[in-house]
Amino acid sequence: MPAEFYYGVEVFLNGLMAGVLYALVALGFVLIFKASGIFNYAQGVMALFAALTLVGIMEGQVPFAHLINATFGTNLHHFGWQVPALAAIVLTVGVMVVFAWLVQRFVFRHLVGQEPIILFMATIGLAYFLEGVGDLMWGSDIKTLNVGLPQGASLWVENNTAFLGGDDFYGFFIDKLDVVAAIVAAILVAALVVFAQYTKQGRAMRAVADDHQAALSVGISLSFIWVLVWSLAGFVALVAGIMWGAKSGVQFSLSLIALKALPVLMLGGFTSIPGAIVGGLIIGVGEKMFEFLIGPMIGGATENWFAYVLALLFLVFRPQGLFGERIIERV
Amino acid sequence: MSAVLPQDHAPFVTPDGRTIGNVLMDLRNITLRFGGVEAIKNISFDIREGEIRAIIGPNGAGKSSMLNIISGFYVPQEGEVWFRGAKRPPMKPYQVARLGIARTFQNIALFEGMSVLDNVMTGRLTHMKTGLLAQSIWKGRAEREEVENREAVEKIIDFLEIQAIRKTPVGRLPYGLKKRVELARALAAEPKLLLLDEPMAGMNVEEKEDMSRFILDVNDEFGTTIALIEHDMGVVMDLSDRVVVMDYGRKIGDGTPTEVRNNQDVIDAYLGVSHD
Amino acid sequence: MHLATTSASDAETVSVPALLARNAVRFGTKAAYREKEFGIWQSWTWAQVAAEVEAMALGLIAAGLRVGDSVAIIGRNRPHLYWAMVAVQKCGAIPVPLYQDAVAEEMAYVLDHCGARFVIAADQEQVDKVLEVMATVPGIDRILYLESRGLRKYDHAAMGSLAELQAQGRAERAAHAADLAAREAAITYDTTCVMLYTSGTTGRPKGVVLSNRNIIETSKNSAQFDHLRADDEVLAYLPMAWVGDFIFSIGQAYWTGFCVNCPESPDTMMTDLREIGPTYFFAPPRVFESQLTTVMIRMEDAARVKKWLFDRFMAVARRVGPRLLDGKPVSLLDRAAYAVGNAVVYGPLKNTLGLSRVRVGYTAGEAIGPEIFDFYRALGINLKQLYGQTEASVFITQQPDGEVRSDTVGVPSPGVEIRIADNGEVFYRSPGTFVEYFKNPESTASTKDAQGWVATGDAGFIEEGTGHLRIIDRAKDVGKMADGRLFAPKYVENKLKFYPNILEAVVFGADRAMCCAFINIDLTAVGNWAERNNIAYSSYQELSQHPRVLEMIEGHVAQVNESVAADPMLSGCQVHRFLVLHKELDADDGEMTRTRKVRRRIIEDKFADLIDALYAGKSEVYTETEVTYEDGRKGHIKATLSLRDAVVAPAVRMAAE
Repeated sequence: MPAEFYYGVEVFLNGLMAGVLYALVALGFVLIFKASGIFNYAQGVMALFAALTLVGIMEGQVPFAHLINATFGTNLHHFGWQVPALAAIVLTVGVMVVFAWLVQRFVFRHLVGQEPIILFMATIGLAYFLEGVGDLMWGSDIKTLNVGLPQGASLWVENNTAFLGGDDFYGFFIDKLDVVAAIVAAILVAALVVFAQYTKQGRAMRAVADDHQAALSVGISLSFIWVLVWSLAGFVALVAGIMWGAKSGVQFSLSLIALKALPVLMLGGFTSIPGAIVGGLIIGVGEKMFEFLIGPMIGGATENWFAYVLALLFLVFRPQGLFGERIIERV
Repeated sequence: MSAVLPQDHAPFVTPDGRTIGNVLMDLRNITLRFGGVEAIKNISFDIREGEIRAIIGPNGAGKSSMLNIISGFYVPQEGEVWFRGAKRPPMKPYQVARLGIARTFQNIALFEGMSVLDNVMTGRLTHMKTGLLAQSIWKGRAEREEVENREAVEKIIDFLEIQAIRKTPVGRLPYGLKKRVELARALAAEPKLLLLDEPMAGMNVEEKEDMSRFILDVNDEFGTTIALIEHDMGVVMDLSDRVVVMDYGRKIGDGTPTEVRNNQDVIDAYLGVSHD
Repeated sequence: MHLATTSASDAETVSVPALLARNAVRFGTKAAYREKEFGIWQSWTWAQVAAEVEAMALGLIAAGLRVGDSVAIIGRNRPHLYWAMVAVQKCGAIPVPLYQDAVAEEMAYVLDHCGARFVIAADQEQVDKVLEVMATVPGIDRILYLESRGLRKYDHAAMGSLAELQAQGRAERAAHAADLAAREAAITYDTTCVMLYTSGTTGRPKGVVLSNRNIIETSKNSAQFDHLRADDEVLAYLPMAWVGDFIFSIGQAYWTGFCVNCPESPDTMMTDLREIGPTYFFAPPRVFESQLTTVMIRMEDAARVKKWLFDRFMAVARRVGPRLLDGKPVSLLDRAAYAVGNAVVYGPLKNTLGLSRVRVGYTAGEAIGPEIFDFYRALGINLKQLYGQTEASVFITQQPDGEVRSDTVGVPSPGVEIRIADNGEVFYRSPGTFVEYFKNPESTASTKDAQGWVATGDAGFIEEGTGHLRIIDRAKDVGKMADGRLFAPKYVENKLKFYPNILEAVVFGADRAMCCAFINIDLTAVGNWAERNNIAYSSYQELSQHPRVLEMIEGHVAQVNESVAADPMLSGCQVHRFLVLHKELDADDGEMTRTRKVRRRIIEDKFADLIDALYAGKSEVYTETEVTYEDGRKGHIKATLSLRDAVVAPAVRMAAE
């Protein structure tokens, strides 16, 4: 086998890893969309906000330091302590739950029964608001996130695969973080499935996703389920934020991965959890392989648009996505 | 005929000699408006323990609105809802459900994507005590609870003879069976009061007979108090202990099927002037 | 095998209750009955069953059941009802199971004729029917029910639940135990074991009295013939009033100690079949037929790859499967191909059908289509045919392993002698031969002669060389046409019914110059065909008269004519003209028996206008037909039917070959 082939395999594997992250973000979208019909534009910003909060808590940053300093003329920046990663993650989850409750209490409770487009606009507002709050709370500088996940190329994989491709091949280059991300994502999805299938709240969640009126009639509180769902989406966002942040730092661009999730959803369908996973992997692998195989012929930089073109093709030929429920217009 | 306010709590004996229980639900001077339109005008009636209470009337009489008030989907502008001897504050439908009032819908509201079993299981949600955190910590307790609820649900599946479709997604069932599954889900909640909104709408003769038998058996076997809306007068006369007749949002009759059938206002409403 | 040859003392095997006592000791902890209830299979061991039956028997005595009384049992297959039958015998009384779907008036006749004092009914539906007929049947003293639901408000003066009866039996054990023991001791090999009413095609049903000797000898012989074992499993889903169910679910089950499984409800039969996976299975041809139809329909809709795989491997199976089953030589390559097919197609398919564990499978009652028969054999299911009747305690002939064909009904069962009369009618004599028709000595005498030979009413012949019996038709239905040629309608009807599109066929032609036929289409098969071919229809009636449906049926008839013409004896029976009926023949309308056999005379009367039109050569006829709805009300359906000519093949000259 020529070395080219093995590079191809390596690109494929890296694509899978990238796909896992896309899938994670898409998963957050699907959860909220299924349960409430809201397309949550703020999902990406939630990931950014969660990551920022995590870093802030770990480093003992004083929230709203700039605001406080500017108002009171103080010069506070840090509490002076460091919080261990695990405790900080738990605290951040708490913050995301509070956030979910606030969003439900002050935004969507007042918009029950509105058109989807209105709800969508509300999430756009929410996105900008959250972005601003994040800046204000934790500052706008790029931060590094280190929760102790293994990083860097796996030498073990590299050494043990080098023999495959002869002299021109030095073994697969695989980032350990990517492997961790894949494992975490798999655990997360399994946990979500178990939660949805076997717990009381999971059953209630599926019920709400299916029919609001019927859910009410069996004693399910819609607002509780929505807080639950937004909390779950916040948790998923945190996981995505940790992975992405650990890889390329916590910065504004993180919120843009939400845009990558869009084609993933078009592929996988807006209502399907397996769809989000498979869609994410297809986009991840697809864009890397396309760049590797076709990119050189047409001048490269295909990663910027490949996903969207693929999504466009899907919109034309299979609008409900790979796993989505068939779209039937009821008259 | 003005509403009698002091409620008698003596057992009520129907003219055919059947004793029915105390007042379970008492609706007092209910008025419901949509914008300027009065859908229900100052209506009072009660539902007694163990009876089958029918609400009948021509289209647009306000029957469904009445049921929606009882189940908390509408909150009336005026009037009081008394349940089990206490005045009920304005409530959300899910809170009403947790009080032990289960219902079905005229147009069927089932979880179409879920199996029959899962649908009926959702009826047990109000009986599940173990919380989210507790479920992850005390796995055994959650499992025991699941088994207990499953047993209760299986009894109902057996009762309504829907064993053969246990695992079928509800979306694939024919209409008549969906109605039965919806009844099963409501029964799974072991309700103190069961509200049925046109349980036999759109059914053929045979399905209607089956459904009537199930309703009677539920009332008989579990002692469930049932309030139902129905168009088919024959069915109402066969099923119900007492009947409330509504027309244009007003109550025009209240009594046993025989009394109601002989009531001139009722005859006029049904035979005289057509509303359609 | 071993069981049957063990030298059991006679007392142990003298009656069904005695066998139960033996099993309670020998198989005490082994499952005897299972029933799915509340979604779970509940089971009872032989020891538990013995205790339940005893409690029931004591309760029956406490309730006043006398020796020699008749007790009717009505309901679907449920363990408690089987136990009731045994408990009744234990008390020295006679169990009489009734068809549960019989309407009240049919039930009234049987209840009156057998003189039932007690009726054990499954549920409210059956109780209602019994109450309805009680006015005209004075003998009924007490109704016992299994399912109390809906019966709370009924007058309980002459009514009670079976559970309460058992509780009473347990409580008053001391008072009645001696009586029960004495009654049981008085039971002999020739005491009546059960009385079964046959749903004869003509006249009133007759009560066939079967003794312990009939049932136990037959069970012993047939269990030996097929090597039935204590670890076998059966699914009890056929009517309890049918002799087959009595032999399988009581006779053979008590003889060998195997387990009887009762479905959760009639609708869940297929699911339960899959879950139980019986090792010994009986089904009438129509069950196998409808299973096959379902498989074929699913395959038509399946993905192309799946369909291709199915077709490929089924071709292999049809070639190799039956040979493997019969132990004939098969090449190594074919064996390998079959093994692959088994992993990919046959195994999963058998599993979905619930037939993957079947060791011995039987079908009987009607002729089974060769394609259907071969399909199951090809899958490796040991499906065989038997020939029997109530009067014989089922078994007259059956096919031994390795000698299975679709066109014979096998060799005489162990202990059975067979004789063919001059007119072709089949006679038999066996230890299973019934005692008598209850209160009907004339019929007994005309059916069973002094030497014990019983007329089957079927015409047939013993095939030379193999010794297998082949049945042509009902002896009285084999008639002559106007020109003296042989007329065997069943023979032709069966050939027609082998087409999945044809559900039923009735052929006329006795004393006529030519044969004509009524056809019933199979709504599932034809409906699916219509869907695939974009044929719109709004009712059964419309579909039945669609020109393309008629065309299709015409093709089937032509093919049947060709095959009928090949047999010189029967070539006169070719169908010259036919019509497709606008309604399904139905037992509720009296056109069929409860066991779905065509009632020829009634149909001839009811549809006389249609028959006349066929013979008059008309091309169209208008008709009105009375129908009975399930709730007993009657109505009329009107239709204009088209009458068609069929292509008739030239008869093969007798001398030609």
